[in-house]
Amino acid sequence: MIKIIKIILSIAVIVILALAGWQAYRYFQRPEEIEVLPSRPGDVKEMVRLCSMEIYNEVPVLDTVNAKVIFAVQKQNGSISFDVENLKVDETSDTIMIQLPREIVDVYESTEKDSWQVIDTKAIGPMAILRSDKLTLEEENRVKAKLKSKAIKRLYANGSVRKARKDAVENLTRLMEAFYRRPVIVTDPTPAGNPPVRRTM
Amino acid sequence: MIRIRAFRIFLTLPLLFACSKSPDPDHMRLYEEIRQVNHMEFASLAVTKTVKNERTDWYKIGKRIAVYSYDTHLKAYIDMNLLAPDDLEFDEYHKTVSVTLPPVQIEIAGRDMEMKKEYENIGMFRTEISSQERAKMKEKANDELKKELAGNPEYKQRLEQSARQKARSYFENLFRNAGYTPVVRFSDEPLPSGDFNLKNYD
Repeated sequence: MIKIIKIILSIAVIVILALAGWQAYRYFQRPEEIEVLPSRPGDVKEMVRLCSMEIYNEVPVLDTVNAKVIFAVQKQNGSISFDVENLKVDETSDTIMIQLPREIVDVYESTEKDSWQVIDTKAIGPMAILRSDKLTLEEENRVKAKLKSKAIKRLYANGSVRKARKDAVENLTRLMEAFYRRPVIVTDPTPAGNPPVRRTM
Repeated sequence: MIRIRAFRIFLTLPLLFACSKSPDPDHMRLYEEIRQVNHMEFASLAVTKTVKNERTDWYKIGKRIAVYSYDTHLKAYIDMNLLAPDDLEFDEYHKTVSVTLPPVQIEIAGRDMEMKKEYENIGMFRTEISSQERAKMKEKANDELKKELAGNPEYKQRLEQSARQKARSYFENLFRNAGYTPVVRFSDEPLPSGDFNLKNYD
């Protein structure tokens, strides 16, 4: 009898060990949670742009959306440039007149390591403890859209765009004078730039 | 005989001076002005990266799958600061100019801040994807993109080819307007495959 019990116990132990081993195997063999798919390139855009200013920023982000707070740090980079391929050039008189075009302000999230670091998110307001503190993708995108808009506004407010336009006028005047060997005047109809206007419905 | 020879040499002197690289003030000024332009962009390319997050465990009820995508922007530019005085060779007699432009450089301009939702299936008993998880997904996609760009020269070749074409036609037009017949080439032409000037790729 004792022998039979021993055999049953041994079998039980073996089964338990086998199950544990199988679970451990499954755990360590677990596929990667995050899978990156191969890149899809778009079309190449050709242009001729005079890059007047490079931008680099590291900004703390504290925002509230739908009673949820997010705190993050973002590294941004971008540039202020001018389309010099489609310049309005008037060569009818002895002096060549060129009009400086609209500035192109690009602000992106940097691709350096940890360029978007989320430190914390929390729910606020009544019953906050019962609500999720996680932002949906749409909420996060709203925060980021505001962030981009703020970054661009700051470039207009702190005079970066004005400086970029001034530098572009000087550079273009000298360059075109050297090419044409005639007096060149580059006019700037909007020295402070053309800040984006928020559209209202 | 000696007189005739001296006369011939005298006649060829203007030609010699016309082809010489002696620093003509106008040419030097043009060189300085082109150099001071610094960065000129000639092409850009957006690369879409898609990333999937799927956590399934046998003991958990419901699926938890999220697929997002975003664009990374590459730009091709020429650093005109690298132009050397010898890179512009004028022949005033024949009104030609040989221009050797610095190499096209490829750089990652940045990535879109927002991500696009391609697909999401989060079961009732599963937790939502957090902002930290999304940041991790983007970080991993970014690392993979950099590896892809370093290992696969296709994107860079496409970008570089377009940028060269654009830069060549732009400078040819400028010099033609200035009264010269230009020949524009690049200092690193022809380019051995796989060898590029890369920035921000680490």
